[in-house]
Amino acid sequence: MADYKLLGKNYQTPDMYAKVTGRSKYAEDHRAEGMVFCKLLVSPMPHARVRSIDASAAEALPGFEGILTADELPDEVEAPNEASLTNEPLYEGEPILAVAAVDEQTAAEAIELIHVDLEPLPFVLDPLDSLRPGGPDARLDGNTMRGRELGEIKWTAADMAGLAPGQIPMDAEAGEEWQYGDLEAGFAEADVVVEEHSYFQSLSHQPLESRTTLAYWAGGKLYVYPSVQSTARSVGPMARWAGVEPADVVVINEFTGGGFGGKISGYVQAQIPILLSKKIGKPVMMRVTRRDETSFGRARPGVQARIKLGMRRDGRITAVDVHAIGDSGPYGRRGDHMNVGSIGSLAYQPLNMRTRGSSVFTNTPPRGAQRAPGGVQSMTMLSPIIQKAAKQLGLDQVEVLKINAPEGQAQYGAPGQNGQQGNVSSAFVKEAIDKGAELFNWSERVQRSGQRNGSKVTGVGVGLSTYSAGASGVDGLFVIRPDGRMYIQSGVGNLGTGSTFDTMRAAAEGMDMPWEKCEVAWGDTSRHLPWSASQGGSSTTHAHTRSNWAAALDARQKLQEIAAHDLGGSASDYEIGGERVYRRGNPSQGLSFARAAQRAIDLGGRYDGHELPEDINGMTTVSATALAGQGLMGVAKDNFPEGGRRMSFVAGFAEVEVDTETGSIRMVDYAAGCDVGTVIHPKNFEGQVFGAAIQGFSIALSQKWVYDRRWGLLVAKRFYNNRPPGFLDVPHEQPMKWGAADLPDPFNPLGAKGIGEAAQGAGSAAVVNAIADALGQENGDFFRSPVTRDMILTQLEQAPTGHDRLTAHV
Amino acid sequence: MSQEIIGLTEGTAQQGVSRRSFIKGAIAASAAVSSSNYLFRANGGAVLAQTPAAGAVERLITVNVNGRSRRIEVPPMETLATTLRYKLGLTGTKLGCDRAECGACTVLVDGVPHYSCSLLAHSVQGREVTTIEGLEAEDGTLHPMQQAVLEEQGFQCAFCMSGFIMNTVALLESNPNPTRKQTAEWLSGNLCRCADYDKILTSVMRAAEITRGA
Amino acid sequence: MAVIRDVIPRLELFQPTSADEALALLAEHGSDAWVYAGGLDTLDWFKDRVKRPRVVVDLGGVDVLREIRPTADGIEIGAMARLIEVINHPAVRSQFPALAYAAQSAASPQIRNQGTIGGNVSQDTRCWYYRDGWTCYRAGGNICYASPPTAMNREHCILGASRCVAVNPSDTAPVLVALEAEMVVRRGRAERVVPAEDYFVGPEIDIERMTVLEPGDLLTAIRLPSTWAGTRVYFEKVRDRETWDFPLVNVATALRESGGTIQDARVVVNGVAPTPVRLTAVETALRGQARNEQTAERAGTIAIQGVAPLTHNGFKVNLMKNLVKRSIRDEPMSV
Repeated sequence: MADYKLLGKNYQTPDMYAKVTGRSKYAEDHRAEGMVFCKLLVSPMPHARVRSIDASAAEALPGFEGILTADELPDEVEAPNEASLTNEPLYEGEPILAVAAVDEQTAAEAIELIHVDLEPLPFVLDPLDSLRPGGPDARLDGNTMRGRELGEIKWTAADMAGLAPGQIPMDAEAGEEWQYGDLEAGFAEADVVVEEHSYFQSLSHQPLESRTTLAYWAGGKLYVYPSVQSTARSVGPMARWAGVEPADVVVINEFTGGGFGGKISGYVQAQIPILLSKKIGKPVMMRVTRRDETSFGRARPGVQARIKLGMRRDGRITAVDVHAIGDSGPYGRRGDHMNVGSIGSLAYQPLNMRTRGSSVFTNTPPRGAQRAPGGVQSMTMLSPIIQKAAKQLGLDQVEVLKINAPEGQAQYGAPGQNGQQGNVSSAFVKEAIDKGAELFNWSERVQRSGQRNGSKVTGVGVGLSTYSAGASGVDGLFVIRPDGRMYIQSGVGNLGTGSTFDTMRAAAEGMDMPWEKCEVAWGDTSRHLPWSASQGGSSTTHAHTRSNWAAALDARQKLQEIAAHDLGGSASDYEIGGERVYRRGNPSQGLSFARAAQRAIDLGGRYDGHELPEDINGMTTVSATALAGQGLMGVAKDNFPEGGRRMSFVAGFAEVEVDTETGSIRMVDYAAGCDVGTVIHPKNFEGQVFGAAIQGFSIALSQKWVYDRRWGLLVAKRFYNNRPPGFLDVPHEQPMKWGAADLPDPFNPLGAKGIGEAAQGAGSAAVVNAIADALGQENGDFFRSPVTRDMILTQLEQAPTGHDRLTAHV
Repeated sequence: MSQEIIGLTEGTAQQGVSRRSFIKGAIAASAAVSSSNYLFRANGGAVLAQTPAAGAVERLITVNVNGRSRRIEVPPMETLATTLRYKLGLTGTKLGCDRAECGACTVLVDGVPHYSCSLLAHSVQGREVTTIEGLEAEDGTLHPMQQAVLEEQGFQCAFCMSGFIMNTVALLESNPNPTRKQTAEWLSGNLCRCADYDKILTSVMRAAEITRGA
Repeated sequence: MAVIRDVIPRLELFQPTSADEALALLAEHGSDAWVYAGGLDTLDWFKDRVKRPRVVVDLGGVDVLREIRPTADGIEIGAMARLIEVINHPAVRSQFPALAYAAQSAASPQIRNQGTIGGNVSQDTRCWYYRDGWTCYRAGGNICYASPPTAMNREHCILGASRCVAVNPSDTAPVLVALEAEMVVRRGRAERVVPAEDYFVGPEIDIERMTVLEPGDLLTAIRLPSTWAGTRVYFEKVRDRETWDFPLVNVATALRESGGTIQDARVVVNGVAPTPVRLTAVETALRGQARNEQTAERAGTIAIQGVAPLTHNGFKVNLMKNLVKRSIRDEPMSV
């Protein structure tokens, strides 16, 4: 790895002091003079139509401030998109109206005085119910999306003939499809074929901070304090929901308490306090409760799939056929179910492959991207099938992953219009697998597979996971002022991954600037922030090391030109170092950055931001213009070459101990080997690898929804019912281990890729495989997540489960 | 008390046809009610008189927070978390679930970790409450756990952080040399959704080191 | 009228400083009054606005109810003793370590700092339909939402159903029954002592209560006789997560042994029925037997005779069998 001064080193990010002292302000911590509170009246039914609303008694209550109903929303939302309030709620907990009052006590009492007459409508919880002949639809206008059109897919009696209840007809109609190679030939070549139905649960994002939002209007501008994953990217949506121009919106969000993809660039419910505060002329604080967050916060689409996989005796996967049904919630269009195929095609490079699928609406909470959308599902569903095939052939699991691993600019996924598949920019997967296997001591631990200790049995598992790890085309922006300090603008949100600041160090690195002389502006769009990637999609590390490097190259060029202008010669005679620009070979001939910054102001034009590049984003142009004349400006769009899609790879290794008498599963240990290009901040990197892995563990072990099927209502609303993992549910007696292949992505000047998402599937896949390994070939295969106590005990007794393998939300 | 209930029969997932019947009526509380669970209740909705009944608590109470006594008006059903955040301007204590199942609201009451969302403010009179804002010394010196978090880059979104830090303060007071296992058990009532548990443990071990070194 | 959550309704709060004062308030306000111990179970109901008493009697200031003291024959634990105080008390740990261990398995550390043993043993069921305010039998309605074949009843009962299929979720309750604890209940000036086994009320007797307590009653203390002190008492709780979660099934077995033979036994399971269940048939089968694998196996088999699982909780049958078996076969675990 290149020898950097800043990148790759641990340091304290500038937001830490505020956090440890309790000074950091999240959305609910802000106050505004005259602030009132709003509470939401939400649907008690999974699908209903509002026939009438009588709020007269509420409005008469002392302390009542205002009400907002769906009829007052300014814009018509095109189906199947989501509105902030509705007269046809499509899931339990969907907001119907909002009441503002002087305090929450009054708002609650006001809501209790409102009479809403609801007409119940048919509902669907399980996508398979909607696909079956004669099955109901979650929406009145269809049950799926075909491309951009709302439509309906119903399987026929012929499709279902010969199938047991709860199974998927492999060749029945699907909304989307792609394939490459020759599937039939691929299966013919296989020495073992495994075909299974597999279920992956829907689960809520559940960030610890809900999407509480404060909004007020002043001087014709909207000030909104949301809980989002990007300040820069939230401005546009907030403006649209408010019905104003982006220039009239200020988004303040310095700290966000978790998002995991559920708060990328805002959420339509932010419209509620925005419009209410406009209507009543007072700041409105909408505190979103945990219950509300479980309702209209986002969730990961569950997937029900039928997967057929062929493996050659040497372990090479010759063919994969997938028919995947995605649970889409009631709104929008998700691609998770198709990613099961495309992400799988990258990780395992099957020689021949087909993926077909449909995203089906249900009357359950709205879905959104959750950390590696479709990727975690892909890894968790495919890994046990690969493990089963490998066991049947007597092969080592790690060797099988290596045999099938992608390398270089490997191709994968759906062929495009030109018949060509896309490809990755780099893949050092075998190196990552080897690294992880070494840290985990796979060759020794695998001997413990099936080892018994009283009623307990040990199992080990490995899972390879991959997901997107970069974006490009965003902008870098900073100014070096005559005080000699560097002021870097960061439009990246702050979920605490560190990339808000880690990536700004690329600018300092490029300028050979000591970090102590750098300041980062973030968290408030009135501080002139550039167009940025969202702190989501694992994109910031890649995108912003590039954009900041580009800005640094821009500033260096300008410094060289200024020096040549003042001291003679041409720009290429000068170089940058030690906070100076100086003539090569004669360092005393030069300017300090402080002096050069002043000269930039004197000379104006490009040097101090009065003239700007044409290709930067409009938001960056506005911000840079506001900063013009303050010093030497580095501003540029990331135009570095691509080389393919940036994807990171993580191989996860887990050891578990299953108690066959109680069904309890103990996580003994976990290790991860990673290919992420250059690691720019080791401590923060570790947080991502293990944080994602643990979220993966809980997908394998505990987290899910449970719905009462008769009434269509969620009975597992509380944490103690839907079970996010605590300290004692994860390995804690020894530190977990991670290692990185440390090979830079050749198309990124700094070689860095993201990590946040690729690491999650590694955790869930490794654990489901370890459980299967512990319980052995007869009892170990569940092909359903999470694997809970009851499933283990039921399987060991070979007793009936009370539901089909693919039944959703039980 | 009467209940007005709109009832309807079960959903239609299996049948594909909507079949509904309505049962609406005012029903005395003690009588059996028809099968329904889409409820619109009005029981208990009577707004009580503003002046407290004889013998009931007064609204003006004194609380001792971070070493300072404050006299504030607090209705009886207000939780300590709400009082801290909305009456005393101490927003460092967070609300993650408001149901004693996440620990983001953890504060110390007489040095003992409690979920402030599940304590009535009226219950802490005469007791000492310590929040994250009360940890640093007058001269700004940080508590070892705060210092350790800075050094180890502990926590990610940090919404759970103040709850974890307060709980750790109590841990180190009770045991300045905890093992990882003891630490995980002590902190098991704090949830981290970013799942930064590994790095949190590293931070606590470092805090213990700093504590012992000091 | 619409449903709203997460705002505690208005209430009148009383903070007596003596047991007499508390009892007088309970007598005065009758069914309008709610006994507030640690507050954890209580605030869930209040925040959901499902239960809305007009009067709340906060016992936090009645110090005498918090004492734990050795008596002539055992220990008396005040109902308001915090779970952490029970766990840490030297007399409890030396004489009844299983009670300390069971108390420690409850909830989470912060809850144990605040929650009381009286509250833990008297707590209401966690049936998620009931807790979410659905108008079932237990809530005064005329239906059970958890028993139909389509219902989600993984955590519900496999024994003792009587229209209601909820379970008692307490971890201390089965231990107290195993130890032959006595529950001291005061009402006005009168005091009565109820054996722990009789403290719990099944739906066939009163479908709206979990214990014998009625409006006006106050549990003041739990007396542990020395009968089972120093014997082999095993407690185990199986749950989905290692913190916060209520038991799927738990077991408390007290064995008096002599020379490897079981002389007397009390075997209690919870999480399987609306009340803790004392398995007298198992106890009978154990007396006079050697404590070994075979005896343990047999005990487990007898334990599950007559179970009636629901659609989704069949796993509890084997789980109960295995826990009873382990409680005889394995070494008790401790704090």
